Amino acid sequence: MASEKFVIPIGPQHPALKEPGHFEFNVDGEIVTDASVRLGYVHRGIEKGAETRNFVQAEYLVERICGICSHVHATAFCLGVERLAGVEAPPRAQAIRQIVAELERIHSHLLWVGVAAHEAGFDTLFMYTWRDRETVMNLLEGITGNRVNYSANVLGGVKCDIGPEQAEAIQIGLNFLEERTRHYLEVVSSDAMFLRRTRGIGVMTREDAERMGVVGPTARASGVPRDVRIDAPYLLYAEHPVELVIEEAGDLEARFKVRVRELFESYRVIRELLTALPEGELTARIPRRIKPAETISRVEAPRGELFYFIKSNGTDSAERVKVRTPTLPNMASVLALSVGHQLADVPMILAGIDPCFSCNDRMAVVKRNGDEQVWTWEQLRQYGIEYYR
Amino acid sequence: METDTCLQKAAELLAPWAQETIEPEPGRVDVAVAPGDLVAAARALMDARWGYLTAITGLDPGEEDGRLEALYHFACGAAIVTLRVRVPRTRPAVPSLIDVIPSVSFYERELMEMFGIVVEGTPNTDRLFLPEDWPDGVYPLRKDFRMEQLGG
Repeated sequence: MASEKFVIPIGPQHPALKEPGHFEFNVDGEIVTDASVRLGYVHRGIEKGAETRNFVQAEYLVERICGICSHVHATAFCLGVERLAGVEAPPRAQAIRQIVAELERIHSHLLWVGVAAHEAGFDTLFMYTWRDRETVMNLLEGITGNRVNYSANVLGGVKCDIGPEQAEAIQIGLNFLEERTRHYLEVVSSDAMFLRRTRGIGVMTREDAERMGVVGPTARASGVPRDVRIDAPYLLYAEHPVELVIEEAGDLEARFKVRVRELFESYRVIRELLTALPEGELTARIPRRIKPAETISRVEAPRGELFYFIKSNGTDSAERVKVRTPTLPNMASVLALSVGHQLADVPMILAGIDPCFSCNDRMAVVKRNGDEQVWTWEQLRQYGIEYYR
Repeated sequence: METDTCLQKAAELLAPWAQETIEPEPGRVDVAVAPGDLVAAARALMDARWGYLTAITGLDPGEEDGRLEALYHFACGAAIVTLRVRVPRTRPAVPSLIDVIPSVSFYERELMEMFGIVVEGTPNTDRLFLPEDWPDGVYPLRKDFRMEQLGG
């Protein structure tokens, strides 16, 4: 029947990356006319859980919100709790936190370039970026002992130091990655086949980006100068700043360029910190019980602004821990941007924000129509690749 | 704009609706407004292009307080302004900001399902994070939530 909507539900298993979310796209022929999302498949009740554990335990808990950007969650939480307690981590600890945070951004951005290339059917780029990503994973393991959930932070400082040998290893690793990154920047801005999937696709104007409140590289690719590291410096970002990386085009190509160009800033600031690593203690003492107060802690995660609200009540555990991850505001833009696009472009538009469902889901409905057609993400991805073949 | 100038400007913009204004820590201003004034206050910030809504926090101060709180955090550079709305526990309702901030839907859906605060006029009242078979009227981030409420 011509008047009926044709709904294509996608998910909840693995709609992008290997994480669950459920989307529904209404289509008119090839064109998406409406989109909705149902999240929550990996909601684990972490905000509630953090209220029933003491601050030390809660730090381990929030670090497990996300497997990709675990360090930045723990950093936001520690900075907030330290502020409530009136304690500041020693300068060396702050430098190490910043080095690990930037290494984490490198691993996250390289991971994203690979995943997004995979969605476009460019698996060679996927394989190369993920091979190179192992370099930074090894560096993180060398510093902290872990590939994921590095557990570098403790309340009041860090638990791992960076010695001369590790500093040397990091320098060698960064030299290799920087050379590779120059190649990737060339690929994403000049490969004719790849540009057909990215240039002019999923365009978000600066006005739209500001209206939708998007954050991180998604915002910066639309010309919005928004980066917590620059707007509200924390750790040693005031003394060792990063430069704002911004693109005006607002399409998928711009989102690729912003993330790849940001890698160079990460390499530069890590080198700077390694040569100026402050001497001194790794931790400051922090009281077990914290007087009643409220604080807000914001950091720039690889995907954008990560927001923590923490309320203490005089005991050794938090009264309330609120987490707003960057994927939530960015996800709203996917729903808006998909409308009017070919269904075949949806995988790339979704991947373009670098969605992190686990982050989101500390917290997409299958309508049971007679003529519904359920696709897996793999089917949709293949559809997109075939469509552009 | 410098952080202090930013905060000063926000305080001026919000003055007509402010019931109480405090500075909980450097770089932040916390302004209590009545539920009925929330939309006007948010519109004043948005019309002046004062930053963006970064998050909505629900708060349950406990049953004895008799109220629930919704905190609307706006960020402009390093400055953060919080609009604090207190609503009675017996009939917790706030107006939707959808006409002022089109992207607010996800935040309002989360506030509704986690705290049982009714957001009047919000376009989508579906659950965002909680499962389909979650019992109605059970709000997990309220302090009186008990696992037994989930049954089974």
